Amino acid sequence: MSIDLLLALITGAALFGVGIYGALSQTNLVMIMMGVELMLAGAMVNLVAFWRYLHPDTPAGQMFVLIVMTVMAIEMAVGFGVAIARFRAKGSVEMEEAVELKG
Amino acid sequence: MNFISVAILAPLSAAVLILLLRRLPAALTLLGALIGLLASIGLLASAFNGINSELILPGLPELPLHLLATPLTALLSTLVAVISSLVLIYAVGYMKQDKEKIRFFATMLLFISAMQTLVLAGDWILLLAAWELIGVSSYLLIGFWYPRPGVSSAATRAFLVTRSADLGLYIAVFILIANTGSSDIATTLNMGGHAAVAAGLLLLVAAMGKSAQTPLHDWLQRAMAGPTPVSALLHSATLVAAGAILLIRTAPMLPTDVLLVIGIAGGITTVVTGLIALGERDLKRLLAASTSSQYGLMLVAVGAGVPLAALLHLIAHAAIKSSLFLGAGVFQHSRESTTLADLEGVGRDRPRIFFGFVLAALALAGIPPLSGFFSKDAIIAASLASPNAPLLATLALAGTLLTGAYMARALHILWYGNKRKHPIAGLRWMGAGLAGLVTLAVILGAGFPSIETLLHRSMPDNTLAQILGLSAALGGLMLGWFIPMPRLLGPLLPWAQRGFVIAGGFDTWMVRPAFAIAHSCDRLERRLYVAVLALGQFGLNIGQVVRRSDDQGIDGLIFSLVHGTLELGSRARTLQSGLIHREMAIAVVGAALIFAIPLLALLIH
Repeated sequence: MSIDLLLALITGAALFGVGIYGALSQTNLVMIMMGVELMLAGAMVNLVAFWRYLHPDTPAGQMFVLIVMTVMAIEMAVGFGVAIARFRAKGSVEMEEAVELKG
Repeated sequence: MNFISVAILAPLSAAVLILLLRRLPAALTLLGALIGLLASIGLLASAFNGINSELILPGLPELPLHLLATPLTALLSTLVAVISSLVLIYAVGYMKQDKEKIRFFATMLLFISAMQTLVLAGDWILLLAAWELIGVSSYLLIGFWYPRPGVSSAATRAFLVTRSADLGLYIAVFILIANTGSSDIATTLNMGGHAAVAAGLLLLVAAMGKSAQTPLHDWLQRAMAGPTPVSALLHSATLVAAGAILLIRTAPMLPTDVLLVIGIAGGITTVVTGLIALGERDLKRLLAASTSSQYGLMLVAVGAGVPLAALLHLIAHAAIKSSLFLGAGVFQHSRESTTLADLEGVGRDRPRIFFGFVLAALALAGIPPLSGFFSKDAIIAASLASPNAPLLATLALAGTLLTGAYMARALHILWYGNKRKHPIAGLRWMGAGLAGLVTLAVILGAGFPSIETLLHRSMPDNTLAQILGLSAALGGLMLGWFIPMPRLLGPLLPWAQRGFVIAGGFDTWMVRPAFAIAHSCDRLERRLYVAVLALGQFGLNIGQVVRRSDDQGIDGLIFSLVHGTLELGSRARTLQSGLIHREMAIAVVGAALIFAIPLLALLIH
């Protein structure tokens, strides 16, 4: 295992940890989503690192990253759509206030 | 236009006209009867010239309706027409006071038309139809005075007895047609063998019913409840004659065994009903019993193998008995009663009518030169010539003796008594009809030789028979005139007056078994009803069990499943807090646990 791969994995883990912290600590919907984005970005770093240093000649790793990016985009669109609708309806996107989802 | 159709249709159309116009019933009746009479005489004239008229009508496929005027049927048709015309003339007078003339004359004409059809029928199907028609019209006529007590039951009894016996005719006709493949009477008469024996016995049953032979003689006496012209027409010359005519026409087919049975049945009837007549207390019932007795004599003649003798007696008896009935009708109007006790001495009130009555009575007894002498002589000669002479001749002579006795007794009662004269309406018409019939009763004997030549048969000339017959008749008259009836009958008197009922008669032998059958049918019916009800109850119970299991079993199972699911769902709901951070924190902890387990496993490894 090369040192570059280790560096890359550490970077990915750091990004994921920052993302989790952000998602759990923030109360604003937009900020939570940014945390989620960071978590996904950490995961992608891992994927890219594994592809680059272990199997550089198979295209599957690249394709996987592209799919995750697509999912990120869709998640962003839906998430911001919900945030805008929530803001228009209630005037805020604070998640502590949004307990109507309770079953 | 054929004479046959005129003979049948003239009375029928007169009846229809009477019913449509509802006026002049008497005139129209006499007109219709007269035209029918002329047509019948035309038929007889052409029969004398050797021409047989016939009329074939489309009937069932392969079984056409066939009307035929042979010498025999033309003769019978003329007899029916003559007697009915004279009776109708009498009836014009008799019914003068009655309010229902239209119904009376229309039914009489219907009856005459049916009788002509019966006599002229050339095939069995038409004969059956006519047989039924005379049955139903006789029912209507006997029950003419239906509001009077006992009349409708008498009519019903006459109808039921003859109907039951008619069953014999039906089966016999089925046998005949099935065996020969033809409904033509002449064709079926060629049949022989066992089928002929069976058919002959069944025909005898039918004839015994219609001709009121023992043991079916009771209805005829009760049928005297009808108006007197009805009695005169139906119960002397036509309806009752149908049975004898049936046997005379089928005589060529009948085997010797059947002939013997017929002779014995007739012989028993002539003695039994003769005794009943002797003990009778009512003039019309006496005459009715006498009718049965005389038809018994005719059956003896048929049984002796000489149907011609029966035919001659039929003809003579028709004229004689209708004259007697007409005379009795006048006496009835005189005293408003028919019991012999009330009629004592009525002969002195109406000497001319009584004279006619006496002539007819002597003719019936068989005194020469009146017509009855010749026909009785023929019957006795026939019975002497038959192989069963000892039996048949004895019975025939006994019948003759009894005839003389009961007629003499009736004459004695009618003559000795008090005079109680009061005027009667319509006596002239009644007298005219009676005079015509008495004339016939007196002179018919002279016509017998020409009938014999017409039918190409001759009667055996037997001096012994003449002597025996005459002495029996005279002896009977003497006995009846000089010896009072109770002494004459002796121990038989109560039997005769009860109509020789054996152990309760019809009530025991027919009515009670019929009631017993009806009762057992009723019981069976009730049991069936209970069984069906139980079956229904059983089905209902099964249905209730099924419904209960459906309600409590299947429904309960499904609903408990539903309730369980709902409860589980409401419990699962409480897990949801709606707080995103809490959910997310749980998710992270969960994911950490999921990752931790393989990581631990890896490390331990």
